[in-house]
Parts: sequence; structure tokens; C-alpha cells
Amino acid sequence: MKMKHVFLAMMLMLLVVLAACGGGDTEETDTGEDTTGNDTEETTDDSPSEPQTLHVAALESAYGVDVWEKIIAAYEEAHGNVTIDLTIERNIEEVMRPNMQAGEYPDVFLLATDREEALTETMIKENALASLEDMLTMNVFGEQVTVEDKLLDGFTDTLATNPYADGETYLAPMFYSPTGLFYNANLLEEYGWDAPTTWDEMFELGEKALAEDIYLFTYPVAGYFDTLLRSMLYASGDVDLFNAAMTYEEGVWESAEGRRVLETIEKLADYTHPDTVANANPNDFVRNQQLVLDNEAIFMPNGTWVVGEMAEAPRVDGFEWGMMPVPAFEEGGTRYAFTFFEQVWVPSQAENVEGGKEFISFLYSDQAAEIFLEAGAAQPIEGIVNMMDDEQAFFYSIYSNDVLPAMGTFASTTPVPGVSIGDELYVKIDSVMSGRVTVDEWVNSLEQANDSLRPAMN
Amino acid sequence: MSRKRSRNIFIATCITPAIMLFALFMVVPTFEVFRMSLYNWGGLSGNKTFIGFNNFKVLWNDMRFIQSFQNSVLLIVLVAVLTIVVAIFFASVLTKEKVFATNFFRIVFYIPNILSVVIIAGIFSAVYNPRTGLLNSILGLLNLEQLQRQWLGNQDIVIYSLAGALVWQAIGYYMVMYMSGMASIPESYYEAASLEGAGKFKQFSAITLPLIWNNLRTTLTFYIISTINLSFLLVTAMTGGGPDGSTEVFLSYMYSQAYSNSTYGYGMAIGVVVFTFSFVLAAVVSRITKREVLEF
Repeated sequence: MKMKHVFLAMMLMLLVVLAACGGGDTEETDTGEDTTGNDTEETTDDSPSEPQTLHVAALESAYGVDVWEKIIAAYEEAHGNVTIDLTIERNIEEVMRPNMQAGEYPDVFLLATDREEALTETMIKENALASLEDMLTMNVFGEQVTVEDKLLDGFTDTLATNPYADGETYLAPMFYSPTGLFYNANLLEEYGWDAPTTWDEMFELGEKALAEDIYLFTYPVAGYFDTLLRSMLYASGDVDLFNAAMTYEEGVWESAEGRRVLETIEKLADYTHPDTVANANPNDFVRNQQLVLDNEAIFMPNGTWVVGEMAEAPRVDGFEWGMMPVPAFEEGGTRYAFTFFEQVWVPSQAENVEGGKEFISFLYSDQAAEIFLEAGAAQPIEGIVNMMDDEQAFFYSIYSNDVLPAMGTFASTTPVPGVSIGDELYVKIDSVMSGRVTVDEWVNSLEQANDSLRPAMN
Repeated sequence: MSRKRSRNIFIATCITPAIMLFALFMVVPTFEVFRMSLYNWGGLSGNKTFIGFNNFKVLWNDMRFIQSFQNSVLLIVLVAVLTIVVAIFFASVLTKEKVFATNFFRIVFYIPNILSVVIIAGIFSAVYNPRTGLLNSILGLLNLEQLQRQWLGNQDIVIYSLAGALVWQAIGYYMVMYMSGMASIPESYYEAASLEGAGKFKQFSAITLPLIWNNLRTTLTFYIISTINLSFLLVTAMTGGGPDGSTEVFLSYMYSQAYSNSTYGYGMAIGVVVFTFSFVLAAVVSRITKREVLEF
């Protein structure tokens, strides 16, 4: 009998443990202040008199957590009637995915496309985003100007914000950053070399540099070609070629303009530092960036974040960051520098869609822009360059009359198993660099991928 | 209540929690994987379409999948064969020979096994560093410059570099397992054999190997499972599947399809293939290595 009691007690304990586990699915949140707000108390009524809770999820990026806590504090103070529940994590996809699969969506999500886990792309492909068209015509929270008017031109005309290519905006642009070819300005000065403006000059410089045992080019990982290649597409065939490529048009890579982009990459292989491919992986990519700091390679495609990323790294004496737009194909041709930006969006199944939109409009206010700027993040709004300090302004002033911003990404498709345009276009470059894949093979595989993706476009 | 009946109730109550947990956390998810492989689903929303075996048809023609499959099979074979040879060699040396500081070596060999895969990735990316790496530096020191390679950059050899790291990691664990098997073989067998004039190698092949055979068979299944799992972790941490898919293994490909490419259903179809493959392979290996168990 005694055994039975012990057994019963153990069963009871097991039940308690199971029950405790079952109840533990309230997500871990890193809240700015202690929130008493509980998801079930949330009301869908968004009249301003009713206190509302807004659930914001954001990726913890290089800009840090503090900046979001300040933004939220500012919004709560300005709004007066809202409590924000913030979830901010480095692995935000892993934290949010189970909740979203269970039907609990955040009201606002800051997460860009082109991330390994592709949560944003999945939401796009599944038509699970709320349209932000009416947010654009709303006034910026606390200001007398509409969001549309305040945003810099062109930022809501791209496939990165209007993924279905129908002119409707589903993702709002955040934190823009020009990308280009980064180099040691002092190195070029020392040897008396000019920063090349065309690819011909680029390869001439490559020869000169090789004579000095310096390689012309390196890249962190093949994925960094996304910005470089897209700028090259613009430079080679203007916006028409770019859009054709981004919407998987037939024959786009076989066309003379498309082909010359790929051929240029192949030619670049001869001038690429031989250690590049071996280091082009998630563990060692910093070694490739180090090659530039050590004067072993001149150019690498990168974004302004590299300055902070390599801040602690050793470097040659007199090193000075330089950034140039991607060279043109012809003398005097327009050059482009791809503008990278992140996106913020509202899931259509969120509980408080309207509140989410209002919050996003606040992110474009001068007050918010200044808070973001302190952390190094630039909002794509009118007058932002005037708010910057000199170093920041240097990178953002890359655009001028003959240097234009390139923006946009591939059109969204319904999920196509086994076909990834990123793998075919960017990841394949490792094989192009090693000479395993010729341009003809590359063109073929790209056209094949396009053939499968074209019918699947949303 | 009869004694037998109450005993049966007691047994049933005892095993119910375990069965429930097993069903909930093993059987149901496995079943779900099989079910999801028949759908076209991105993984997040409720939009699932039933497409029958279409995912498997696509899989059959997916060259990247076939490459990752080849890589996985190559790794399983290489890692199992190399580790068995090296681990048995060291195990028999450490148990049978009078080696200085046996316990010290046992610990040294075992250490890699307790390291996290991320640390192993860090160690080996330093070893394989083309410039300052241990491997190329040693080759340079020995005037063997012609053997220096881009260990993680050359697409023909990077998969072997990966195998090297996996073997290094596995040796200690299997060595300890074989040592425990060898330690239980009575010393008198070896004495008798040496009186009969059997040399070291003969002793090993006629006594040690047959008597640890069962032990060895069990570890073969371990090799299959652990190589499949660890290669995914190592690839994710060290090479990211690159350069251009040269080190993609089927679990890393499954992950990239299920998440990065938003084709969750397709990823699950890969999961089904991996599941079936590892099950069948383990069964076949177990079947063809079956021998009568020797008693001693």
C-alpha cells in the first residue's frame, strides 16, 4: 500500500510539472518598463480614449536595444493612452515563429527581408501582411505632414515595399543605408591611383595593383553581391533591365546587358584575393573584410555598418574608410549605389492593425528620427542628412547628379520548392570565382530558375 | 481485486506517463512531418494546399538535393570508417600495451567530445585558415608547400576538411566505448594465445575483434545518427553549406528549404527522405553485421 501512495504522489508531481510547462507559453518579453498589459485584456477598439496595448516585435540589430526603449517611451508619452509590449531579440524569428504559428501575431514587426530564416518573405509569400496604403496618407504622429510627403522619393515604389508589384505598399522602409565598394582611401592616395569610375578603369587599376602584390577585390560572403549586382543591373540596362531581372522576365540574363553584368563578375575573379572563397562563410567572413584593412585587397562590396563592425580591428597605419558607387559600364555612364533598407510591417492577423499603423507613422517623426540617428540608424525622411554629423553625412552624401540610388528586390512568388534565385544568382558566385561555373552555365541556370519562378509570381 | 489484476493496473499506470510523453513528443511530430510533406505550405499562415506526392517528384529532380545527399552519404561512410580504424587502434594500444600515462591520453582523446560544435567549428576554421592556419603552417615548415591547400575554399576538398573535423571530434567517444569492451576480455585468452605463438596482430584479429564485435555493431548505428546530426551543426557553424553548396548536407538543405525558401512542406518531404534513409541504413548495417554473439 505504501508503494501506491508514493506512486500516486509521483503521478501528481508529474501532472503539476506538465501543467506548469503547459502554462509557460507566455512569450519572454524584454519590456522597457514592467508591463501589466496582458494579451487577453487587449481590446480591438482603437478609440483614443480606450487604453490600448500594442505588441511590437523587433530584431535586435547593431543599433541596440536602448534605441527601441527610448522610442517606446517617447511614443507612450506622446500618445498618453497606449502601453507597448516590446519583444526584441537577436533571434527574433525563433522567438516569434512559434507564437505566430499558434495565431498570436505582434501588431508591428521590424524585420527586414534577406535574412537567413526569411520570416518576412514567408509572410509576403503567404499574403499575410496588412496593406499600409492608408498609413501613407495619414499624418505623421504628432506632426502636420503626411507620411507619404515626409518619406524620401522612391522609397515606397520598390519591390521591397510593394512586393506584389501592384503599386500597393505592404512594408514600410526603415533605416536606409547606402552600400557601395568600400576601400582604404589612403592606399589609393599613397600610390596615386584614382578611384575608378568605369569597369575598364577598374580592371586597369587591378593590373596596376597586382604589380604591387595587392588584389583588386574581395567580398565578405557571396550574399554581399546582392547590393553590388543590383547596382550593376541598373548601371548596365537602367531601371528596365533591373525590373526585368527582378520580375524573372524571360531571356533577361541572355540579353547583352544582362550578360555583361555576369561577365564582369567572371572577369573580377582574376583580380579577387585568392583566400576570399575559403573565408567566405559565416565563421570567417570578417577575415575577408580584414584583407581591406591590411591593404591586401582594395575593394569590397559592403554597407555603412562595416565601419562599426570593424571598429576594433587592427589596420594599417593611416587607414581611412572610403566608399564609392559601383563603376559604370561606359565612360560618363550613370553610376549607382544600392540603398539598403530594413522594413517594418503589420501582420494582417494582428489584433490591433490600426494601432500598429499609427505607431509606424510615429517612427517617421523628427523626434523618432533623432533618437534613431543617435544609434547610427538613418530614417528615409526629408532633411535627414541635415541632422547627421559629418562622418555619417559623408556616406549618405554619396548620391549626386551622376550617382543615383538603386533600390528594390526580387518580386515575391508563392513558395517554389527547390528553386531559390538567391542561390542561383549570388551563392553561385563562389563557383564562378573558382572557375567551376562558366558564364554560359550561369546564364542557363538563371534562366531555368526564372522559368520556374515566373508563373509563381503573386 | 485479484493480485494479478492489481499488478497489471499498477504496471499500466506506471508506463502510461512514459507512453503518453513518447506519443506526444515523438510519434505525433513524426506523423506530422509525414503529413506536412504532402502539402504546399509556407510554414506560417493557414494557407495549406494538399498536393499529394508532388514534393517528392520535385525532390527527385532537384540537383541541389542530390548533391547534399551525396555529401551526407560520403560523410557518413568516411567518418564511420576513419573513426573505427583510429579509435580501435588507440583503444587497443591504451588497454593492451603498457603505455605511459594511459589515463591522461584517455582524457585528452575524450576532450573534443565534450566541446560544443560551435567551438569545434572555431578551432577548425583556425586550423584550416589558408594563411596562418595550423595545417598550412606545418606543411610550410616541412617544406611541403605543394601540399598547401585552400582547405575551406577548394570545392573539391572542402567536404574532406569537414570530415576531418568530424573524425577528430568522434574518436575519443568511440575509443572509450571500445576500451570498455576490450577491458572486459579476460587476460588469460591473450596469455594462452601468446604461449601458442600468436603475434600482436593475430591476437587482435582472433580475440579482440570477435569479442568486441557486438560493441562495434552498436556503434555503427551511432555513427549514422551522429554524423547526420553533427554534420548539420558543423556545416551551419563553419561553412554555411558553401562554397556554393559544396558542403551542403541533407539536413542543412532541409533547413534552407523549410525556412529560407519558405517551402515548409518541401522541407518536410526532405525530412521524410532523411528519416527513411537513416532508418533503412541502420537496419541494413545491423542486418549485414549480424554474427553469433561469442560468450566468454
